[in-house]
Amino acid sequence: MTEVASLRPIAAVLVSAIAIVPILASAGRPNLREGWTVLAAVVKLGVIASMVPGVLGGTVYVTELGTFLPGIQFTLRADPLGILFGLLASLLWLVTSFYSVGYMRGLSEHGQSRYFAAFAGSVSAAIGIAFSANLLVLFVFYELLTVATYPLVTHDETPEARAAGRKYLAYTFGGGVAVLSGTILVFWMTGMGTTAFTPGGIDQLASADPVFARAAFALLATGFGVKAALMPLHSWLPDAMVAPTPVSGLLHAVAVVKSGVFGIARVVLDVYGPGLIADLGLGVLLASVAAFTLVVASLIALRQDNLKRRLAFSTVSQLSYIVLGLAVLNPMSITGALLHIPAHAFMKLTLFFCAGAIHVETHTDDISNMAGIGKRMPLTMAAFGVASLGMAGIPLVAGFVSKYFLLIGTVSAGDIVFTVALLVSGVLNIAYFWPVVYAAFFESPGETDRKPVIENVLGGRFSERSPSAATDGGTDRTDDGSAPADVDSDDHGYAADHEGQGMKDRAEAAAHIRTEHGDDASPAWEHRRWNGDESTWFMLGPILFAMVGSIVLGIVPDTAVFLRIVRLIVEGVTGVAI
Amino acid sequence: MSELPPFLVAVPLLGSVLALLAGLARSRTGWAVAAVTAVLQTALAVVLAVRAFSGDPIRYVVGGFTAPFGIELVIDGLSATMAVLVAVVALGVLGYARVAGPRSNAFYATYLLLVAGLSGMSITGDVFNMYVFLEITGLAAYALVASGESGRSARAALKYLLVGTVGASLFLLGIGFAYVATGTLNMADLSGQLAEVGHGSPLVQASFALLAVGLFVKIAVFPIHTWQPAAYAGAPDSVSALISALVSTIAAYALIRIVFTVFTVDFLVANSFARTLLIAAAIVSIVVGSVLAVTQQEIKRMLAYSSVSQFGLVVGAVAVANGTALTGAVIHLVGHAIMKGGLFLTTGLVANVADARTVDDYRGLAERFPVGSVAFGVLALAMVGVPPAVGFVGKWYIALGAVEAGAWPLVVVILVSTLLTLAYFAQVIERIFFRESDAASAASAETTTDETLFTDGNGADTDRPSVSFGMRATVLLAAVLAVALGVAAFEYGQLLQPTIERLLV
Amino acid sequence: MIEFLASRLYYLVSFLLLGVGTYMMVGNANLVKKVIGMNVFQTGIFLFFIVSAFVSGGSPPLLTAPEPYVSPLPHVLILTAIVVGVSLTAVALGLIVRIYEEYGTLNENAIRKVISDE
Repeated sequence: MTEVASLRPIAAVLVSAIAIVPILASAGRPNLREGWTVLAAVVKLGVIASMVPGVLGGTVYVTELGTFLPGIQFTLRADPLGILFGLLASLLWLVTSFYSVGYMRGLSEHGQSRYFAAFAGSVSAAIGIAFSANLLVLFVFYELLTVATYPLVTHDETPEARAAGRKYLAYTFGGGVAVLSGTILVFWMTGMGTTAFTPGGIDQLASADPVFARAAFALLATGFGVKAALMPLHSWLPDAMVAPTPVSGLLHAVAVVKSGVFGIARVVLDVYGPGLIADLGLGVLLASVAAFTLVVASLIALRQDNLKRRLAFSTVSQLSYIVLGLAVLNPMSITGALLHIPAHAFMKLTLFFCAGAIHVETHTDDISNMAGIGKRMPLTMAAFGVASLGMAGIPLVAGFVSKYFLLIGTVSAGDIVFTVALLVSGVLNIAYFWPVVYAAFFESPGETDRKPVIENVLGGRFSERSPSAATDGGTDRTDDGSAPADVDSDDHGYAADHEGQGMKDRAEAAAHIRTEHGDDASPAWEHRRWNGDESTWFMLGPILFAMVGSIVLGIVPDTAVFLRIVRLIVEGVTGVAI
Repeated sequence: MSELPPFLVAVPLLGSVLALLAGLARSRTGWAVAAVTAVLQTALAVVLAVRAFSGDPIRYVVGGFTAPFGIELVIDGLSATMAVLVAVVALGVLGYARVAGPRSNAFYATYLLLVAGLSGMSITGDVFNMYVFLEITGLAAYALVASGESGRSARAALKYLLVGTVGASLFLLGIGFAYVATGTLNMADLSGQLAEVGHGSPLVQASFALLAVGLFVKIAVFPIHTWQPAAYAGAPDSVSALISALVSTIAAYALIRIVFTVFTVDFLVANSFARTLLIAAAIVSIVVGSVLAVTQQEIKRMLAYSSVSQFGLVVGAVAVANGTALTGAVIHLVGHAIMKGGLFLTTGLVANVADARTVDDYRGLAERFPVGSVAFGVLALAMVGVPPAVGFVGKWYIALGAVEAGAWPLVVVILVSTLLTLAYFAQVIERIFFRESDAASAASAETTTDETLFTDGNGADTDRPSVSFGMRATVLLAAVLAVALGVAAFEYGQLLQPTIERLLV
Repeated sequence: MIEFLASRLYYLVSFLLLGVGTYMMVGNANLVKKVIGMNVFQTGIFLFFIVSAFVSGGSPPLLTAPEPYVSPLPHVLILTAIVVGVSLTAVALGLIVRIYEEYGTLNENAIRKVISDE
């Protein structure tokens, strides 16, 4: 591995940070403003992509910016792991930028300049995380990412959004404190020597006091675990879904949450090293938390009626696949985990983009209102179907490849429990995604099946509130309109206007819809053809791109550069060629 | 050239007298005199700092006596830093005060007197001399706080005066004990003599306790902080900025001097009670200061309690007493001065532009006054300790030092203080950027789509005549400095290394 | 014990003054009395210094007088401190005049009442 001094890593970080200035300056001219965003995204992707061949050839690009604190250099390194995350984030930022234009204009959102500026800042911070050469630089960008994403979470400026923002700040800054504490401990244990990432682990840590080594690992894992939404630190993520959908898509499925996962990857692979983690007995602990999270989050997702919340819990669960793979410490499972980073990103982005498109076009947020929506938005729902198959790990889509590696890895490591957890969660994936696809294509607003999992009281005690839990509302509901609203708002925690867009009770809902949302969502979905007139191409393009991406990753993972990068990383850390 | 040190005190003193005299001839000449003096002072401080950092400490004995008997001025890296800080902040606040006022010549005379006192405290090498400068500083600060027009200012000043005098008197009493024990007042001489008397001697211990508690009052450590919120909130904006940035800072500097130059680390090692006293004060201050800050409605009071909490960090670093922590303490002192001074100036600016003084008034400020909002946001986040701003760097050094020393309770509190700080700043930031002001929300409730769609960023920046370019520039400069200093902090830490090593011998 | 105390009577008195001064400052609602308390407090400290200079059988520190001398330094210091104390008192009284003009009373509780009524 040769190190080459280059300005490209810092350029990649700064491009979008600099773009904030023209974005804010051209606030009054939206086309110019979005031009800047797209320009910055293209340049950024170009810079990062230009480093990929070199990195695959064993070169590491390094920008040294001098000493930040005693013993700690402010250095950016584009090593394989960094490139993996950087390439992914910058590629999907470009895609999301186009989608954002369609989404924000489609909804005539307020504060668009702030939105695009904060978005650019967030991506800068995410790339900074990718290219950080040591724990402290990583921490710097980790905190900056929190600051930059806060305006996006709070974007709506509604009480729920502000509450979500507060929760987000409290959780992530709390995580930041844990990361900082862990960093200080690591720095101290290395004799004020270094926190620099070294593939396979920092040597001095091996001789450190195991108690402190464990404590530092616990702190780091907790700190990064907040953004990686490990249970029980996940609850900010579903709440943060009040953000505009592109934010949920890129940040809360790709950049922010993956930065947490990425931090854990750095700690496991490059700070402690798999060997030391195994010696300290920390791998099983982390893997158990991850396994618990991925099963329980899938179960919770089953009961979410709001589509974005269901996706959020799916994210919580899928992120833990990655953490689990890392924590099992087997070369195969690490490969699967790292590959799941791009795989999940493409698939989840597709899903979020679909959810956003549905929201923009029909103002529908709840799955129970989506019966027959496949007629209205055929392309979107087809993409949704493909991506959800991938999530479940059906072959030919990205999720299959990474899950395959994960399963092989856990089996060969002898951790059958974790294999079982992965399989159970795979089944649950189908259980919570299939109803959406099914409802979209095989139901209609008038004819829907019962959805007892969602509608019934948790634990099956449905005698108290509604004796018949039929989807058409039953007699009880028409008599007393407020009762079902109570039940539903308990379930998904959204304001009252988030429901009622639907068709579960035709008469009542139709009246409701007309006053609030116009004719778009009239009880019978109007028919749109498969040629894209269902929405704007600003949104359909990104959706299809992300969907195609997840298929490419699933069919020819080696051609899509990500698997090659992953192989390189795993070989560098464990010395085993996959 | 070796005659320069006394001018650091003499220049502002002369300026002060001059401002008063010029006022007799023509009113409103005070600002010009003060500005010239402050520029001169800054130049002087920088020249001395360059020399102090490039070699051994500069020593100067006033009046031709020899060292232990005459009053000695000592300028090492630490004193030089403080002298420069005092001069620069004084200059910066002047840039703000030109339009914001107060404008009387008496005000500027007092202003320069404060600068003289603070500079004197920074460079003196004699404990009694330090007491005199402490009282000069105090007197000037009481008068400045009272320069506000309302009765509230006068009451705040009187409270400040009473509490501050008790603090200074305790300090004097501590000096008395030290003098009784050793018969000398020169700091360098004292440290040797105290060691001879024995660090276990009750006289020496009592002296330490009195000096420390006396300075705690001036630093505003909980629970003897009570003067601070009233004083900061009651004073005119420029004055709150000046005293919040400097008075407590220099008192904390004095604590570092007393603990390390006079009593030395050996004393702390020999007397665990001393360290316990400092650590307890630090922890209580950090936690309770933050909690009280959260409960405040008035922004200036909130910032005052924030100071209580932030100085807890510095006291904690003193208690840890190793090189890393002490470097952190100095960096945090400088950083806090810039950030807190900047925040108070921003608060003043906001009060002028948008007539907002309470947390709730700040709702929707981003629309009405983007410049001030951004400055406030940046400074607040720097204070929270978002890297790479200076607030983070200081905290890093202090926490690392505490880990080195194995002071685990302190480590935990220091790290958690980030969240505590966040707790009170987040509520303000949220109101500034993500809420609409009452007036705006009523107006925009109906207008939603095209009109508001693309206009954001050109928010109506209602200029009132009372807000000058200088005021804005100062505030923005503070925000930029808060970030820039964080990047420069390492280099500075290296420069400070020899000084810190001498302190810890 | 009594002998011990008697030999340190002066110290005892100066600390008694500190106590009296503190009590006046804390316990009295009248602002002027608070300032007087502050003065008493300071005087206690001044006396403490002067006492510390005392040398049994010493003469005033004049070159013409025979040795041993009492220590001259504390006297000098306390002269300075007294000057500081006087200026503090002046400032304090100035402030009190302003407060009186504003609120028409010197009683702290009454002032609080005035403010809360506003």
